[in-house]
Amino acid sequence: MAVSYLEQNVRRVPQGLKKILYLNWAVILLLTAIACFGFLMLYSVAGGSAEPWMDAQIERFAVGMVAMVVIAMVPIWFWRNMAALGYIVSLLLLVAVELFGSVGMGAQRWIDLGFMRLQPSELMKIGLVMFLAAYYDWLPLRRVSHPVWVALPLAFIAAPTLLTLAQPDLGTALLLVIGGTAIMFFAGVHWAYFATAIAAGVGTVYAVFASRGTPWQLLKDYQYRRIDTFLDPASDPMNTGYHITQAKIALGSGGLTGRGFMQGTQSRLNFLPEKHTDFIFTTLAEEFGFVGAITLLTLYALVIFFCVASALQNRDRFASLVTLGIATTFFLFFAVNMSMVMGLAPVVGVPLPLVSYGGSAMVVLLLAFGVMQSAHVHRPR
Amino acid sequence: MIRRPLRPLARILPARMRGENTAAIERENLRQRHEQMRDKARLRAEGRLLVLGLLFFCAFVTIGGRMATMASSPAEEPQAAAAGSPIISQRADITDREGRLLATNIDTYALYAQPPQMIDPEHSARELARIFPELDEEELLADFTGPRRFLWIRRTLSPEQRQAVFDIGDPGLLFGPREMRLYPNGPIAAHILGGASYGREGVSSAEVIGVAGVERQFDQYLRDPANEGAPLELSLDLSVQAALEDVLSNGMDFMNARGAAGILMDAHSGEIVAMASLPDFDPNNRPRPLTQGHPGDSPLFNRSVQGVYELGSVFKIFAVAQALELGLVNPQTMIETQGPLTWGRFRIRDMHHMPPEMTVSDVIVESSNVGTSRIAMMLGGERQRQFLDQLGLLEPTGVEMIEAPTGRPLLPANWSEISTMTISYGHGLSVSPLHLAAAYATIANGGRRVTPTLQHSATHPEGTRVMSEETAAQARSMLRQVVTQGTASLAEVEGYEVGGKTGSADKPKENGGGYYNDRTIGTFAGMFPASDPRYVIVITLDEPVETTGSQPRRTAGWTAVPVAAEVIRRTAPLLGMRPLVDDGGDAGVVLASQ
Repeated sequence: MAVSYLEQNVRRVPQGLKKILYLNWAVILLLTAIACFGFLMLYSVAGGSAEPWMDAQIERFAVGMVAMVVIAMVPIWFWRNMAALGYIVSLLLLVAVELFGSVGMGAQRWIDLGFMRLQPSELMKIGLVMFLAAYYDWLPLRRVSHPVWVALPLAFIAAPTLLTLAQPDLGTALLLVIGGTAIMFFAGVHWAYFATAIAAGVGTVYAVFASRGTPWQLLKDYQYRRIDTFLDPASDPMNTGYHITQAKIALGSGGLTGRGFMQGTQSRLNFLPEKHTDFIFTTLAEEFGFVGAITLLTLYALVIFFCVASALQNRDRFASLVTLGIATTFFLFFAVNMSMVMGLAPVVGVPLPLVSYGGSAMVVLLLAFGVMQSAHVHRPR
Repeated sequence: MIRRPLRPLARILPARMRGENTAAIERENLRQRHEQMRDKARLRAEGRLLVLGLLFFCAFVTIGGRMATMASSPAEEPQAAAAGSPIISQRADITDREGRLLATNIDTYALYAQPPQMIDPEHSARELARIFPELDEEELLADFTGPRRFLWIRRTLSPEQRQAVFDIGDPGLLFGPREMRLYPNGPIAAHILGGASYGREGVSSAEVIGVAGVERQFDQYLRDPANEGAPLELSLDLSVQAALEDVLSNGMDFMNARGAAGILMDAHSGEIVAMASLPDFDPNNRPRPLTQGHPGDSPLFNRSVQGVYELGSVFKIFAVAQALELGLVNPQTMIETQGPLTWGRFRIRDMHHMPPEMTVSDVIVESSNVGTSRIAMMLGGERQRQFLDQLGLLEPTGVEMIEAPTGRPLLPANWSEISTMTISYGHGLSVSPLHLAAAYATIANGGRRVTPTLQHSATHPEGTRVMSEETAAQARSMLRQVVTQGTASLAEVEGYEVGGKTGSADKPKENGGGYYNDRTIGTFAGMFPASDPRYVIVITLDEPVETTGSQPRRTAGWTAVPVAAEVIRRTAPLLGMRPLVDDGGDAGVVLASQ
């Protein structure tokens, strides 16, 4: 069996608090820099006030950072053993939210725990990545492309995806499918499967559009309208296309260096809905211009780069798969968000990681990076 | 025992001959094979990574390229010179049923600056900071002398402010005409109207868009130039609305309640004559939504329409009306009311001691939970659910407000027998006060379904029949008795023959797990005049405590009922109703002409 070699190398893994020295500090600094961008923007969209968003965001970031370091201190093999449990718990929570969740903004997404609102779909993003990585760590390499052993992970991906679609949360569902598929891809599943899947995907898109207007149409009307306005936002500038049109104006008026901090009229004069959550990037682009936007993009790219570098260094299969999975999920977050804001993709409601205002998304992302750090610290040397 | 073959045999056998340790060789071989396998996996993963890396790179380039093209494209708005498409203004007014203004527009100006045209930026900045204390002189100066070619300074100006800015005399300070939405009555009917704000803003005009309430619901209509400014006429009556809000606000203070909701509805057409939710706000200056805490605590929250509560005993009349309709009972049928009623691990009991048997009428008048539960058991869950559905209690009300779909009733996950019993006395099913008003209107108007509406119209389509005239009349006579002999005695308003039912429901704990025993929702749902009702009234108080007695009193009879009575006393004359004077019969009166 393809046994993990971690156990053999435990001796050489740093012990105790010394582990802090072995964290991937580059990633930590990058994450902090990105979060600082977020704090600035939240300060600005609140009209130059720490209330009501920036303070809460800083608080959550601090909590998330501490949690990240704590998770990083725990050996990665512990997290591998916990992966299946984590996945099952997340899945049960998703079912629970379906049954008992509260409804917000037209979608049923969170469970009210009293002290915080838990969004199980966020938890699932990391749970699925870890579980699939553990699965491929356990599965002997020669079985990876066997149909039965391919069908199993597909079921693991499908279960949470269908549940999030039922909420309905198209963005998260998309992230789960692509993130999960990426792990299968890294794990070495045969090319033919992916080719088939892509062909099937194209077929589905065709079916979705062909079914429109018929009694068995596959998406909700508002989802079709979002696609329509993506294709032609000008057709409906006051309603669904409003987001995109206003965002484009904001980006255009930012120019090369932007209007300057707290000078963005588009967002400050309340032109933009959801200016502190999904569309915060427009504020940034307006106030800091192309330079600011490309800086943020570069920071994100560097995070991905360091994650991939760490995964390549890591000889443990679970650790490297989980690192790659987290990097892919992170990539999807900001790529989808930025594309959506700039009108390259439909508006699906994915936050800009670490910058958008939002509790569980940020904390869960930092937890995921905790696992990535743990993989880095405890890599076989 | 199954033994794995020794590998590599070629090395192990000679070593064994020499008497060396073969286990080490085998272990070494196993390790090498593992590493080979792992390297193969890694090699494949790295190949895959290259592919994905390429995709990532493409995504980065696409996003970066898009950013660059967008940033280099000229800014479309707001620019002083931008002609742009003409922005449609002239939003229609909103009036009450008598044509009195609820929302209108006034002309105003926005102030903007074009620094390149400015003559004396220091002077202008100083003067502007003097006229508008909230502006900062140094910031303005920095803007005026910086590279910016255009900036907004204020969105709206009063005429005096405009004159003062005009007197600065700087050609770089310019005015953009626009309309602003004005709600002349301030907070009156705030939740219904909602509010408006600016959409697209240009130099020559700005678009006013509705953000909540009917302003948002009828946004298309209000902005449609085809209507030629014809006002939107609501069913509200401004004077009745003002009286309701006044009484409700005093009542809320007096009863130490956290919030209150009140509805006055035409029993036949479903037109809402007045509807209020407290605490309220001023739509001229709409507060920001809460970012923390429960959204229900925001003044923006409309308790009448969005808030769903377990309303308690006011529901009892529905179970009784259905039993009458189905012929299962008549008002004089005796019902066993010996408590407590045990069902599985649940026990249903009454607030005070009841006789072992009572008539159906008395079950309502004395408000017996046990009696109502027994009647509900005769109905059964399925029939009960259908009846409540026909009354409109299981769907959002459909009133013409953008918030209406959020007032969705909370049904039990499983309509079990115990649910059937608790729902019969108003627990386990949460509806909004507006739902309750519509359902009572059905009893009031002789049994036809009522859909609440905010639009004033001469004719309304007749609703489907839910119960017979006779059943409705019997139910009304019971509700009248509740006021004359029962828990709602304080609701008696001389001359208006009020009928109705009280409900004092313990509030469920927010995190589940039972009910508070010191927090209630006190409700009075009623109609007047009971013999041939024209209006339905619902008053709901959130956590009321009446403290004039020796002990704090929380039941609706002491809290919601007196408030409702005062509302009726104040509004009935405004609604043009004459008090019915009981002349005490002919006794002792001799007409002179005989």
